[in-house]
Amino acid sequence: MGMLAGLLFMQGLATRAQPVQQDITLTAICNSRGAPAEMKMSELKSVLMGEKQRWSDGTKVVIAMVKSTTPLGEIISKRIYSMSGDGVRGFWAGISFAGKYDPPNVFNTVTELETFVAQNPGAIAIIDKPIGNDVRVISIDGKKSF
Amino acid sequence: MLNRQKLLHSVITLVAVLCLTSNSFSQNTIIQNTHIRGFIDALVNYQKGKTSFGFGEQDLFITSELHDRISFLGETVFKFTAGTPTEFSVSIERVVIKYNYYGNHNILLGKHHTPINYWNDTYHHGRVFFPTIERPLLFAANFIPLHTTGVDMQGQNLGKLRFGYDLMVGNGIGSEEISDNDNYKSVTAAVHIKPFDKLRIGASYYNDIISPGSDLHGRTINWKVKQQLFTGSIAYFGPKFEALAEGTMAQDKSDTTGTQHSTAAYIYGGYKITEKWVPYFRLDNLQYGDGEIYFVKDNTTSIVGGLRYQINYLAVVKFEYQHTNTQRNGKFDKFTFQFAIGF
Repeated sequence: MGMLAGLLFMQGLATRAQPVQQDITLTAICNSRGAPAEMKMSELKSVLMGEKQRWSDGTKVVIAMVKSTTPLGEIISKRIYSMSGDGVRGFWAGISFAGKYDPPNVFNTVTELETFVAQNPGAIAIIDKPIGNDVRVISIDGKKSF
Repeated sequence: MLNRQKLLHSVITLVAVLCLTSNSFSQNTIIQNTHIRGFIDALVNYQKGKTSFGFGEQDLFITSELHDRISFLGETVFKFTAGTPTEFSVSIERVVIKYNYYGNHNILLGKHHTPINYWNDTYHHGRVFFPTIERPLLFAANFIPLHTTGVDMQGQNLGKLRFGYDLMVGNGIGSEEISDNDNYKSVTAAVHIKPFDKLRIGASYYNDIISPGSDLHGRTINWKVKQQLFTGSIAYFGPKFEALAEGTMAQDKSDTTGTQHSTAAYIYGGYKITEKWVPYFRLDNLQYGDGEIYFVKDNTTSIVGGLRYQINYLAVVKFEYQHTNTQRNGKFDKFTFQFAIGF
C-alpha cells in the first residue's frame, strides 16, 4: 500500500500540464548545403527519426531541435514523432546510447536553432516562425509549411 | 578459420582506401560534441523469507562526435565483484570507434555488444531502458557471447524495408580484451528489417571455435568446441502494445560428445494502460542437450509478472514477481522492486 502511494506521489511529481496548440503552422528549414529542396512528409519524419546519416550530396545529416520541454517542442514531438516530449527524449536517449545515431543538437529558442542551422552544413530543423535569409525552406509534400 | 595477419592487413587496407576515396578528412569541419551520462539502479528484493537492499551496476556512458565521419562510444561499468579487495571492479563494456564511410554504412572498431539479438544490440547496461528489471535468463546463463572485440561492418535503414546488417569479425570466446587466445576468429552475421514503425524482425548467425583452456566467465573448458548459434527475433514497441520474442539455438560440436543442441528463448509482452503505467510479463526457457559440455547444463523455466511506471525518460520504477524452476536448484520465488535512473 505504501509502495502504491509512493508511485502515485511520483506520478504527481512527473505530471505537468503542457498547453499544446495543434493548429500551429510548422516549417522545415535547412542549411544551404545538404537537404533537398523538396521532401515527402514520410521522408522528413524518417530523417528526423535518425534513419538517414548522409544527404545525397554526401553531407552529414545534422538534426537540430528546440527542446522538447518547450511548447513548440511538444508540438513537434506530437506531429513529427507521434510521441510526447518526454517520449522523444527517451527515443533519442535509447538510440544514441545504443550507438545507432549521434544525439541531436538541442536549443532553447528558435533563434538559436536557426543560427545553428545557418552555420552547419547538413543541418535540418523544424520551426514555427517566419525565417531569416540564412536558411532554406524545404517544401514538404509540395507546401512551404504544414 | 581466418588467418589473423591477413585479416589485420585487410582491415588496415580497407580503412585506408575508404579514407582516401572519400577524401573526407580534408574536406569537413572538425567538430566535437561529447555527451557523458551515467546510469544506476537501486533494488529491494524479497526471497526465501529475507528482504535485501542493494544496487546494480553503475554505468558511465560517453558518446562523442570527433569529426564529420568519426564518433566514439564508451561504456564503463563499476560493479560489485565478490572476492576482490574492495568487492568492486571496473569493467570496460564497450569501446567503439565508428567511421561512417558512405550513406548509412559504417565500420566500427573496438569492443562491441555482439549484434546477435535485439536485446543485446539495443540495450546497454543502464537498466532504465530495460522493459523488465533484469535481462532475460539466457544472458545470465552466458548462452550468447555478449561482447566481441573486433571489427563490424554495419548498415542501417536501407531501402523501404529499412534493412540493416552487421558483419562482425572478432577475437572470439575465451579471448582477452587486448589479444586473441587462439588463431580462430568469431564471425557474426546479422540482418534485420523494420517494415513498419516500431517493428523489427531479425536473424543472426554466429560461428566460433573455442579452444581448450579458454576461460568462460570463471569456468575453464577443457575441450575444443565448434560453436554455431542461430538466432531469430521479433520486436514491437508500439504506442499501446509491447512484444519481444527471441530464440537462440546453439550447436556445439566436440570430439568427445559429438554435436549437441541447446536452445534458449524468451517472450516479453507489455500493455500501456497509460503512457506511464505498463504491466508486463516475460517467459524464459533454457533447454540443454543431454551431452552438452560447453554450457553449464541447468534446464530452467521462469515466469515474470511486473508493473513498470515511467516517471520520465530517465527515471523508472518496476515491481516484479518471478517464479523460477531450475534443474539444479529447484523452484524459488522472488519479489523485486527497482528504481532505475539515468543522470
